[in-house]
Amino acid sequence: MLEVLELSKTYGHIAALRGVSLRVERGQLLGFLGPNGAGKTTTMRSVFGLVAPDSGQVRWGGNEITEEARLRFGYMPEERGLYPRMRNLDQVAYFGMLHGMSRHNAESEAARWLSEFGLADRAKDRLEELSHGNQQRLQLAAALVHSPDLLVLDEPFAGLDPLGVAAMGEILATQANAGTAVIFSSHQLDLVEDLCDDVVIINEGSVALAGAVRQLRAAAPHRHLQLEVRDAPTDWIDTLRGAAVIARDGDRVRLDVSEGVELSTLLEAAQEAGDVVEFSYEPPSLNEVFLAAVGQ
Amino acid sequence: MTRWRTLLLVARRDFVERVKSRAFQISTALTVVLVLAAIIVPQFFSGTTTEWRVAVVDADASQVALTIELLQSSDDVIRTRARSAPDRASAIEMLASGDVDVVAIGGEGVVTSDGTSRTLATLASAALTAIDLTDRAERLGLSPAQVAELLAIDQAPITSIDGSEEDDDSGGMESLALFTTILLFVSIVTYGQWILVGVIEEKSNRVVEVVVGTVPPRLLLTGKVLGIGLLGLIQLIVIGIVAFVALRATGVADLPETTGPAVIATAFWFLLGFAFYATAYAAAGSLVSRQEEAQNAAFPLTMIMMSAYFIATFSISGDNPIIKIASLLPPFAPMTMPLRIALGRAEAWEVAVSSTLMILGVWLLIRVAARIYRGGILRAGGKIRLNEAWRSSEG
Repeated sequence: MLEVLELSKTYGHIAALRGVSLRVERGQLLGFLGPNGAGKTTTMRSVFGLVAPDSGQVRWGGNEITEEARLRFGYMPEERGLYPRMRNLDQVAYFGMLHGMSRHNAESEAARWLSEFGLADRAKDRLEELSHGNQQRLQLAAALVHSPDLLVLDEPFAGLDPLGVAAMGEILATQANAGTAVIFSSHQLDLVEDLCDDVVIINEGSVALAGAVRQLRAAAPHRHLQLEVRDAPTDWIDTLRGAAVIARDGDRVRLDVSEGVELSTLLEAAQEAGDVVEFSYEPPSLNEVFLAAVGQ
Repeated sequence: MTRWRTLLLVARRDFVERVKSRAFQISTALTVVLVLAAIIVPQFFSGTTTEWRVAVVDADASQVALTIELLQSSDDVIRTRARSAPDRASAIEMLASGDVDVVAIGGEGVVTSDGTSRTLATLASAALTAIDLTDRAERLGLSPAQVAELLAIDQAPITSIDGSEEDDDSGGMESLALFTTILLFVSIVTYGQWILVGVIEEKSNRVVEVVVGTVPPRLLLTGKVLGIGLLGLIQLIVIGIVAFVALRATGVADLPETTGPAVIATAFWFLLGFAFYATAYAAAGSLVSRQEEAQNAAFPLTMIMMSAYFIATFSISGDNPIIKIASLLPPFAPMTMPLRIALGRAEAWEVAVSSTLMILGVWLLIRVAARIYRGGILRAGGKIRLNEAWRSSEG
């Protein structure tokens, strides 16, 4: 289990982290969300000792993280980087060996990951000869080759095409199912919503919301109502009380409804105004929860 | 144990990846070719190889040839070939027809023609005298050992006006010393630049972020210096062997007596000098983010190396206070002390003080450089000031 406890870090006058805490269990897939500059990367780097926090702790399995423990971690930084002129198989195997694998073991695992990513025939090519997407795959292979206990991925979906996104999502889910603790940051909230049970949202260096996605959505004080009413007068919506328009597109309208407003009242009002084609009532999406949490 | 393994893995990667790189292979091949060319090519142009042909009558031809070679002290390569002539008349005939350059007649003297060099005539005459002297000594009843001792007088030394003794060997020694200094300068700069470029490469393409997540920065720095240093040493040894074999094979120059110590000193000072400058280059490299800034970052180091090099080369003709002091001090010693050693000018205590200070200097610099490196390597964007890197890393 990874525990980040009350982490604080100041760069000059800028407080990057103000007491960030989070935890990831083995087998858990945690989405780490927040606007740019919220402190996601700083938090993730601190797990690898790349940032020395001013206060707070990062623990693994209840203990302070040692060099030995880090050998069992895998990391994919936000700014990707590998040796451009190294041959692909050698490169992945090198990272395997740095993480304590024997040469033989590292090479066979590297070969396995290369074929997993469809790069078996590029094993002897250099990194710089690969396309951008394939370089990303190799980066992931370098983070996975030693079957880490903890996987930390900073924006793993950035720059991937839809196929790559799907494949990446599948790999993360597989890793978590196999018992790895996985934490990743992302701006693609719909993706996070599909993939993760749990999220942590940070804003301006502190945790704004944390918990299971479903609970976070359910706990939101507002509900959203999706309505499509045909042949209604254009201003019928303005007569509703306790509901605010979020988006409107012709006959379709999305409303923000406060707690305590009776649905039946709303439905009646809609039926009086015209033909109701769609009437769906749901908690806000993760995207909406996120925007509310970061105060937008 | 894990640390050692990690250190060796890092060193191995830097070593192997460089050996496999085309740039390294080409530069090594080119250097070998250049060294060979520098040794072999001058022979075709300078024409310093001369052959003296001597006809000998009434004396042992091989003894005459040997004595002439022993007496001649020119830097040029001269081969003496003597052959026996049956009598005076046939020997003169050979001289007249140009088959030989001089005629040496035992018990009589030397006969020259217009084409005979003065040096050869003098040497041939001196050789006859020396042989005559030996014969007389034997006739007087001296044992061969006594004869040998009688003949083993050194030529009276010639002293120049500035008081320094003119040593027959000095030409060879000076070239060897200069060669050593150039070799040390070029190799330390070259391999230091490899470190510099390697560090900036890791930093600029951000791979260092992944590596340092697992490998402590100090190990990364040490491994890199170790791997590239070992490769540099091997390259130096290969070039040294090629040069040695070529020198031997062509007989261009006799290697002076100081060659052995000079080779050992060169290897020793290369290791110390490289360790010193390589860590400094690594620290400098960690402060910048792009290859274009590499030379700016390394400028102060390059200046120190250049000044050490110039102090060395300007002091070949004689020791001066500047090189005496410089050769004791760490940043300058790797290029100035080997020169003094090769010229046989360094006192034992000076070598001892200089190497002790150098080892201390390396030890100290590794700690300082490792801290700067650690502070600098993970900071992206622009040039980082030395003290910022120092402060952001807690040692």
